[in-house]
Formats: sequence, C-alpha cells, structure tokens
Amino acid sequence: MLTRDRLGAFLMLVFSIGYGVMIFDIPLLPFQANQAFTARTMPQALSLLGIALSLVLLLRPASTGADEEATWRRAMRQLLRPAPAGEDGRRPHPLLRVGLLCLLMVVYGLTVRLFGFLLSTTFFLAGGMFVLGERRLWILLGVSIAIVVFFWVLMTQFLGVYIAPLPQFLGR
Amino acid sequence: MLDGILVGLSTAASPLNILMVAVGCFAGTFIGMLPGLGPISAIALMIPITYGFDPATGLILMAGVYYGAIFGGSTSSILINAPGVAGTVATAFDGYPLAKQGHAGKALAIAAYSSFSGGTIAAIFLLIAAPSLAVVSLAFQSTDYFALMVLGLTAVAAFAGRGKVLKALLMTVLGLMLSTIGTDETQGMQRFTFGMLDLIDGISFLLLAMATFALSEALMSVLKPKTAADIQREKEANANLGSMKLSRAEVRDIAPVVGRSSILGFFVGVLPGAGATIASFLAYGMEQRLAGPEKGKEFGKGSIRGLAAPETANNAACSGSFVPLLTLGIPGSGTTAIMLGALISYGIQPGPRLFVENPEVFWSVIISMYLGNVILLVLNLPLIPYIARVLALPHTVLVPMILFFSLIGVYFVSFNTFDIQLMVIFAVAAVVLRLLDMPMAPMLLGFILGGMMEENLRRALIINNDSWAFLWERPLTLSILVIAALVLVAPMVSPLIGRSLAGRREDAGEGG
Repeated sequence: MLTRDRLGAFLMLVFSIGYGVMIFDIPLLPFQANQAFTARTMPQALSLLGIALSLVLLLRPASTGADEEATWRRAMRQLLRPAPAGEDGRRPHPLLRVGLLCLLMVVYGLTVRLFGFLLSTTFFLAGGMFVLGERRLWILLGVSIAIVVFFWVLMTQFLGVYIAPLPQFLGR
Repeated sequence: MLDGILVGLSTAASPLNILMVAVGCFAGTFIGMLPGLGPISAIALMIPITYGFDPATGLILMAGVYYGAIFGGSTSSILINAPGVAGTVATAFDGYPLAKQGHAGKALAIAAYSSFSGGTIAAIFLLIAAPSLAVVSLAFQSTDYFALMVLGLTAVAAFAGRGKVLKALLMTVLGLMLSTIGTDETQGMQRFTFGMLDLIDGISFLLLAMATFALSEALMSVLKPKTAADIQREKEANANLGSMKLSRAEVRDIAPVVGRSSILGFFVGVLPGAGATIASFLAYGMEQRLAGPEKGKEFGKGSIRGLAAPETANNAACSGSFVPLLTLGIPGSGTTAIMLGALISYGIQPGPRLFVENPEVFWSVIISMYLGNVILLVLNLPLIPYIARVLALPHTVLVPMILFFSLIGVYFVSFNTFDIQLMVIFAVAAVVLRLLDMPMAPMLLGFILGGMMEENLRRALIINNDSWAFLWERPLTLSILVIAALVLVAPMVSPLIGRSLAGRREDAGEGG
C-alpha cells in the first residue's frame, strides 16, 4: 500500500538517484582522481546513503496504522476541495490560496527592483490579503502602506540599510 | 572563571544588550504565540536585524528570542490549546484545562514562574558546565569533531520520535546533500550549480531556514484554515484571564517539582538531539509517577504540578542546549543549529576556541540568560493580557506579513532577487515534505553541519596520510562513533526487545 511514509521515501529515492547521477558532472582534475578525498567523495557517500535509507523506508512494513493512514488520506483529499464556509460565508480553497500566494511571491521577486520597494511591497501585501479573503479596501491599502512605510523608515533611517524606494524608470 | 563572568557581565549589562534581551524576549513571545510559528522561525526572522550588530549583541538578541518564543508558545498552549512550539505541547495538557476552569491567569503565572526558575537554575548549571567542557574539548582533533558531528546528526534522528527515526535520518541526509551545493572549498570545483552564477556560493543557511520554517509554516497555516471552534476559543481566551496570584500552598506544592524538572530539563537539553520537547514530556511523566495515585489522577485535568513540570523542563532544556553549541560548536537542536549558522556568518567559529578567542561572546550569552529570565518574568507576565491579543489578529493580515518579513529578510542580506525565487521553490518542497510528515529540523541541522563535517573529515584524512584508520585507531573518535551507533540503534532495537520480552512473559504465563 502506498502510505505517506512510502510516498516520502519514493520522493527521496528519486532525489537521491538524481543527485547521484549529477555527481558525474562535478569536474575533477587528473591529479585529483587518485586522492582519497575529492569533491565527489562526500556527495557519493550521501547519494548511496540516501538511496539505501529510502529503500529501507520504502520496503519495510508500514509503521502507521490503517486508521491513521485513512485520516491522512481524508485530510489530503480535503485540500483539493473548498473548505467549509467561514464567518464571511465564503468557501476558501486552501490549495488554490497557497498556489496564488506562491505566485505572488514569485511576482514580488521579479518586480521588487523594477517597480521599487514601496510600490511592489504594497502590491504584494495587499495582494496577499486579498488572496486570503480580505475585501475591505481600507484594510488592504491602509495596512499594506502602513507596514511598508514603517519598515522602509526603520531600515533606511535607523538601521542604515539603503533600499531603493522608487521604480527603476524614475531613476530610483 | 571569575574574569570571564565579569567580562560577560560588562558586555551583557551594556544598555544596548539589555535592550536587545528585552526586545528579543518580547518579539519571541509575540512570534512564539502564533500557532505554527516556532522558535526556529522566530530566530530566523530576527537574523537579518542582527547582522547590524556585533556578534555578542546578535547572539544575545537571538537567545532572548529563543526564551521568548518558548514562553509565547506556552501562552497559546494555555489559552487556546494550540501550542506554538512542540516544546510546549505538554504544557497544554494541564494548562488548557486550568484556563477552561477560569484560572487562565493563574496558569500563565505558574508557567512564567516555572519558566523563570527552570531557566535560572539551568543557567547556573551552564555557568559551571560550559567552561569545564570547553577546557576538555580543547584536546579534540578534527577526527573527533567529525565523530561528534556524526553523533549530533544521529542523535537528532534517534530522538525524532517513534516511527520517525528513518525519516529523520533521510531528512538529515537531504540537508547534508543541500550543503554540498556550491563551490567545493578545498579543490575549488563547482558542485550541483547547473552553471548558475547565483549558486556558486551555495545556498545560504538563512534562505533555507526562512523558506523551510517561516515561509512553509505560514503556507501550512493557510492549508489548514481555522474552524469556527478555533475562532471562538481565541475570542474566549482574550475575554477574561482571571487572577494571576498564587497561594502559599500552591507555591509549596510546585517548588519541589520545579527543582526536579530543572535538573532533568538541563541534562536532557545538553544531550545532542534531545531538546525542550523531550525534556517537557519526560518531566511531565516523571511528576505524574511521583505524584502518587491521588494527585496523579489530577494530571490532564488542570493539575498545577502537571503544568509546572513541563514548563520548567522546557526552559531548563533551552539553557542546556547551549552547552554543546558553545563548547563543541555542535548544535543539539534545530534552534541552536540556526544560531550556529548565524555565528558562522558573523565570522565566529563556535567550539572550544570560542571560550578562548571570543570570551565576551561566550560569557555574555550565559549572563544574558539570567537577564532574559528576569525580563520574561518582570516585563512579559504583566503584559500577557495585551500580548495575548496577537491571537486575535486576523490571519488575512498576519500571513502576508510573515511572508513579507521572511522574503525581505533574505533579500536584504544578498540583494539578489534570485534568492526570492529559490525560497519559493524550497518553501513549496517543504510544504510537500511537511504534508508527508517528514521532520524539517534534522534537515536544517544536516545542512548547517554538512560543510563543517566534510571539512573535518578531509582534514582528518590529510593528517592521517589519506588513511581511514583514524576512525578506529583513535580511542576518542572510536568511542564517540560507538556512542553514535548505539544512540541510533537503540530506538530501533528497543521495541523488538520489548516485544520479545512480552512474548516470553506470555509464554511463561501460559506455561505456569
């Protein structure tokens, strides 16, 4: 049976094999090849250890009970469905929210230099709150702007860290 | 030693450092109170700020955050039965029932007094134990260090809990694998960089810690939204805390418990791998057995002894866990591992030389523990009703804030936007691993120790003319490796022995 332990072990097995294959890409100079310890030694040992441990975890009898596994499966299935309605009557979709938050973080990484700290961070915080269900505009903008300005003043004026506040096209 | 104490006192008692202890305790309490965010995340979130200070001040701030986070975790355990930290799970056993009976204030006061006593008694032990061990460990060579790191890593896996030893070992190996990314320090060869310039220096420990703890814990809280019952509990928790006063009889009742649990907690904390969580459960179990059948029945229903024992032990263990960090440079837990990472990035190598080369860091951290405990008691306890309001902060505001502080904390160190993308990748991977119940702390420990472990092994081989014989020829190295093997094998073998003994007893019963 594919338990969560075995699923974890399978992922680690794939990772360890991939890691092991990539060891061959580590360059070695000719005189280093015969040394007892090279840049490849530790990765080789770790790859073998990872494969061995994953196989043991994969092949040993399941350590969790059937009830525990069923509860875990139910919880995982629940992640794919909308959660029960909250106080506002909406039915949030947790996995979708996490996906959108990750997307927001990626966008933040791409825009923090382009649009400057103040603008991109305000957008990120307001966007994050919106994704999590906040719809009141004064909270979305008020809280975001307050945090951004407070943090920017703290870092630039008190801790001496320069942060470009404005977008690149405004000459920073 | 007296000179050292005076150096530590003069450093720790400077106005800036006292302020840092206070800020650390306060911020730690605040963050630790948020369910899901533990001391590792709390410390990780503070690290970017500490880069502006000298190492002693930075470490004092982080130590303050550590005690504060444990104390904050206790508060959410007592008030809403949602431990912010694994080390305070046992606190909820009796703390929450007490709060439900209308004695939340008393429960918080017991937690604060017990934490203070546990932390202070353990700091006295630390004052004696750390310098003695540091002197002994000056005789250690790179072979012994390699063996000690193996012991540290196996111990963390061995104490991971029933059925989790293999998973913890796997995660340790994963951490070690991640530590090999970047340029090999001795031979200058690039490993697993995929030709990307951003990976040449490897992955920063702060990035990994933030992504796999603060970011992934925040994302996990989105995956498990609060139920109506949770929201109701949080509202009730802030309604009325009741009196915070303890009667003389109650103080007399918990005094011996505090004494015993402090000693137990400290020694469990010193062991690599074991930490506040194990100490608190052991102390709870020990007190339940010592309480006798009458008082023992009260455990789990609001016993003040059941609350005092884990609270004392977890704080004592926090102080204890600094012993291997300060004397051997080997972290005993995920939390001290992150402090080790921070120290290394300040350019300080923890270990026996720390005692000699940076006595102000060594002693000021120990002295700051007393200050931290006093501040927790004097400042945090009266402020608890106000700090507890953090529990009522809406998730919609809190989660984006945590995400922002995590991302920006890493970005402000490197000013490289690639780090933000890398953090997202690690955070997603960490969420998947958390959903599969894989423990994250051993991974972080493996990552931080990986570089040092490889370096010490390489040095040991060079000293021994490329011969691996040092592993069994040097008695100290061999002894440590044997202990590591025993520590690892014990949890796997003990259930088998237990089963075979039970089988024999059954056979004997049937036969007789």
